[in-house]
Amino acid sequence: MVKLGKQARSVSIVGVGCTPFKNFEDHPETKGMSEGDAFGYAALEAIEDAGLAPRDIQYFYHGAANPFMIGDSLTPNMQVADWFGVRGLGSVHHSEACCTGYVALQEAVQAVASGTYDIVLSGAVDLAASLPVVNAPGCFRRDFPLEEMLPSIPMVYDRAYGRPLDSAFGISFDNWINKYRWEYDLSAEDIDAALNGMSKSLRRDAVLNPLAFYESDFDDAAKANGLEDADAFLSSMFNPKVTQYLRVTGFETKCDGAAALVVMPTEMAVARGYDHQPIDVLGTGAAAFEGATPDNEYMGTKEGARQVYELTGVSPDEIDLLFVNDFFLAGDIVAAEEVGYIPRGEAWQYARDGRCGFDGDKPINTHGGRCNFGHAHGASGVADIVEAVRQMRGTAGAAQMPNVPRTTFLRGFGGGQNIRCQILRTHE
Amino acid sequence: MLLTDMEPIVKRFYDGVAKGEYWGRKCVECGAIEFPPHLGCNACGCGHTEWVQLSGHGTLESFVVPGIQNDKPYLKAVEPYGYGKVKLDEGPEYTFVIFCGKKKVVKRLQERLYKDHEVIGVHAKPIERVTPLKPGSDQTVTWSELCFELDEVAEA
Ligand SMILES: [Zn+2]
Repeated sequence: MVKLGKQARSVSIVGVGCTPFKNFEDHPETKGMSEGDAFGYAALEAIEDAGLAPRDIQYFYHGAANPFMIGDSLTPNMQVADWFGVRGLGSVHHSEACCTGYVALQEAVQAVASGTYDIVLSGAVDLAASLPVVNAPGCFRRDFPLEEMLPSIPMVYDRAYGRPLDSAFGISFDNWINKYRWEYDLSAEDIDAALNGMSKSLRRDAVLNPLAFYESDFDDAAKANGLEDADAFLSSMFNPKVTQYLRVTGFETKCDGAAALVVMPTEMAVARGYDHQPIDVLGTGAAAFEGATPDNEYMGTKEGARQVYELTGVSPDEIDLLFVNDFFLAGDIVAAEEVGYIPRGEAWQYARDGRCGFDGDKPINTHGGRCNFGHAHGASGVADIVEAVRQMRGTAGAAQMPNVPRTTFLRGFGGGQNIRCQILRTHE
Repeated sequence: MLLTDMEPIVKRFYDGVAKGEYWGRKCVECGAIEFPPHLGCNACGCGHTEWVQLSGHGTLESFVVPGIQNDKPYLKAVEPYGYGKVKLDEGPEYTFVIFCGKKKVVKRLQERLYKDHEVIGVHAKPIERVTPLKPGSDQTVTWSELCFELDEVAEA
């Protein structure tokens, strides 16, 4: 059993930046945005937020989920450095599909905690709503139809067994919520009401966030389809079930986006005297189970949480805010219980009753999550961290939690399936 | 390490499935079986395993019903199916495609499994797959996908 060692020194997040998570090609302001542009904007915002200039950065991490296909690139870190004024700086690219953004934080923290560097930037970008026009400059993008996307999804699964035996893809979406349903003797309708309740809270949060993909809520969608209200829409034929439990609204909304953060030793952050409190990264628990491994999301979440709770000594009842990578929406419900945020057997009711919105008693994904804020694959984990930091600073805008959270838990997940469990705490 | 010290484990597995033989790797320390086979033992973390032939019979431990998002047309063409965790009689667990014979069996299966706690036997039922060498190519590779079938289908 892995027991994490203490970091050689405490590390804090001092700067965050995030582009809107939209389809850049759909907006005249952003049509023609390249990966370098997008990463550059996010990186420069994070650096400025940290009160620094690009010249102060000593090393950077670049994350992207699928640079070969959606970035037409094998070495993306090499191709973005000049965009934010760090030509010549050491850097590395990493790619853990939808878990990329949490690995981004873990690696940057380790680089500083080890004493190797003092000021490190970690960012991620995916222009996931479109495809590059190969052999034309980066400003030319084209549509990304489902028939081109679908074949790429199984690539996160093991080519020897998980993929050819069809099992990894087959069980991923529903196996944990199905287990949960029968464990608590719930009906399919109970799960449906829970997921639809969760969708409503998340969409409301997203609509309040200017960076989010969606600008209208499910009541608007109902009206547009001649239905009475959000509930009627969510359970209607306009929102069909596409797996045993998940409706269309239970799956990610693919979009473009980039996000970045800057970390430094806590001691240095305190000495610099920021207006905003540094956010300490208390630790990262890590696990990975190939997608065909039975109960992989459950086992990874359990192990990652065990590691980070043991390392930090934080108890689950100290968690004020939870982020869950919910590209399959049911993850919000089952993971919230597994990390001890909501009592066992009750999260489905919390979700159904709207208690997980930003102003509820157990907020989850206050920016709306993957299905409502939008999913720019590798960049999404960093966007979660950006939102967490803004909530903890009390600067999250219209969806600011009434009680500013002090301790945040992130359950990162993805890429067939990698898990990171991270705890952030406001420095005091 | 020399060439003579190596063999492609994955190839032996698929060659076996094509002949109706189910090969796993047994840990020399703890005796746990890797199925499908790998070089190391994931039960105890030992680096040494050796070949062992399995019966291809087990029990169904979990089951989910596919929707349009996780449906495979070439599986539906064979018969109604779902995805589930199989515990082989020799111990190892992995997830596979489960053929169920009739649509109404698929519908009732979760209730039987989770509510009635019925022991549901399954046996290996490979299907042949033909894959183009590259997109649009006339040349193909043929291989056997290991799926399972409810025992009650074969008994009926
Ligand atoms: Zn062993």
